[in-house]
Amino acid sequence: MSSAAESSGFARVRFRGAAPPVLLLSILIVLPLFGLGPNWTRLLFVTFVWITTSLAWNVLGGFAGQVSFGFAVFYGLGAYTAALSINAGINPYLAFLLAGITASTASLLVGLPTFRLRGPYFAIATIGVSEAVRVVMTNLAVTGGASGYRIVEHGAFRQIDHYYTALGLAGVALLVSLYIRGSKFGLGLIAIREDEEAAADAGVNPFTYKLSAHAVAAALTGIAGGVFARYAAYIHPHGVFAFHTSVAILLMPIIGGIGTIWGPVLGGAVYGLVQEELIANFPQIHLLLYGVFLILIILFEPGGIVGLLRKLFRWIEKARRDPGDHPTGASRDQVLWRAGRAQRREL
Amino acid sequence: MSAADLLNLLIAALLLAGTYAAMSVGMTVIYGVMKIVNLAHAGFMMLGAYFVYELFSRFRLDPLVGVLLAFPTFFLIGVAVHWLLVRWIPASDQPTLSSLLLMFGLWLVLQNIGYLVWGNSDRSILTPRTLLTLHIGPINVPAVRLVVFLAAAGSLAALEFALHKTWFGRSVRALMQNRYAGRLVGINVERTARLTFGLGIAFAGAAGGLLAMLYSFSPDFGRAFLIRAFVIIVLGGLESFSGVAIGATILALVETFSILVLPAGYQPAIAFALLVVALVVLPGGVASLLTKRLRLA
Repeated sequence: MSSAAESSGFARVRFRGAAPPVLLLSILIVLPLFGLGPNWTRLLFVTFVWITTSLAWNVLGGFAGQVSFGFAVFYGLGAYTAALSINAGINPYLAFLLAGITASTASLLVGLPTFRLRGPYFAIATIGVSEAVRVVMTNLAVTGGASGYRIVEHGAFRQIDHYYTALGLAGVALLVSLYIRGSKFGLGLIAIREDEEAAADAGVNPFTYKLSAHAVAAALTGIAGGVFARYAAYIHPHGVFAFHTSVAILLMPIIGGIGTIWGPVLGGAVYGLVQEELIANFPQIHLLLYGVFLILIILFEPGGIVGLLRKLFRWIEKARRDPGDHPTGASRDQVLWRAGRAQRREL
Repeated sequence: MSAADLLNLLIAALLLAGTYAAMSVGMTVIYGVMKIVNLAHAGFMMLGAYFVYELFSRFRLDPLVGVLLAFPTFFLIGVAVHWLLVRWIPASDQPTLSSLLLMFGLWLVLQNIGYLVWGNSDRSILTPRTLLTLHIGPINVPAVRLVVFLAAAGSLAALEFALHKTWFGRSVRALMQNRYAGRLVGINVERTARLTFGLGIAFAGAAGGLLAMLYSFSPDFGRAFLIRAFVIIVLGGLESFSGVAIGATILALVETFSILVLPAGYQPAIAFALLVVALVVLPGGVASLLTKRLRLA
């Protein structure tokens, strides 16, 4: 996929590129001061939670190229851990931390047996684990089984606290993604995605790298689950552990642009804001629409929204410039990369 | 628990294994030739179940005839799906991100078309055979299970014959071993892949029809069986047909006898537990264990 080839201009745009997100963040911070209605606050809260999970999935799926169909496991485990801890009288923020740790530990259960092997084992195991965990949670008496679990928190419910918690968490997830992408660790992950054997030859240990990426992603997802559980105050296995939760977490970064930084944010935002309208208007077919979306994205624009925008900008740029000099409008790198891709496709 | 009860359980497990093998073999051929993990298998199994159900409820067609009709119907569907979607994704000798996601998207589409058309209530196929039981001494065999087992075994035998005695089967086996070498000796890879995909989907649809005779089903029908199919082909070593038979037997035995120690509610988790055990203990599957033994001998 395309993101490996574009890093040349990355440092140059970094400063210019930092302006819009900082602006956006400031707007989101001050927005509640101007009397955002409870409905919008809730919608934005949910959107931040989704953006966090979307960024988290992208660390493993986008950077390291390991598709997981089971992130609801971490989301749900985080939710339940936070719920149990808060009910035990632990400070909510500490409870979120515990949620992250639990989810991270659980990620090892899937990662240890599967990451050692090459092949489709990991993706297969994630479907299995999400089924297994939901079955166990549906039957577990401590957490109320299928009938769900209620969180009782003393003190007044202040929606704005939840809003800022979720916003802060999404910010942290974004910073983590940015940091990983620029670090040696992130480059190692991308190397594994592009060619696992070559990466191993270059001194990257695929097993530990994949395991760490999985743990980081699981921790963020678990915390997001905890934050959501505290807000919702009632969770049940067929909500947080549901298959469609996994589907949602997987779809957002892909719709936005897999392997990029802003793709998952965009995907999460679109999903968070559109999801309710979509369910309200098309209760029967919203998952069908997502499936069609997924197929179309994979077949026509694997870069998602970000890829589309990028193409659009390139096209505008090309139209503006005189196309006499460089008839293709592509740099030497791009030409070489395209040639390589065409060759790979032929095999 | 008497010896007769244990014997009954054993027979039930072995009869189940036949159906499990029929359901997994479609995934194995597709994986073997194209290195695509067909997540949409679950969706096609569900469609197969409803296909047989519709034929039965509208035209009073015997479910067995329905299953027989499902083979060509789903073969054509599979070929069409390959032509429409699958052939566009780049070929690889490893399962790729795009192939996984494409098949996953297809599964979502099929499942939700199922919900649109049939709603989410459970359906089942009831024939006079359903409640009939054969008594042989102390052994009781539910007739429908025996019939389903025989149908599954028959289809597997036909597949085995096709794979070993036809030109198409030879090219399938060659491509499973080495795609590039297969192309070098003149196999039309594109055509073989298309037919293989059709074959895999045909088995998915037929297995769905067979399972519909045993269990009630809803549009979410395939999911629980998808994981079982995964476990079976991982146990079998992903690309081996004899491995599929062994994997199916192991899973059926473990599932059936687990009733003795575990509450039935936990049963869906067993397949996953077995998957983890298989990955830790013998990642190459039973087949690799056997070949290692043979090489040693």
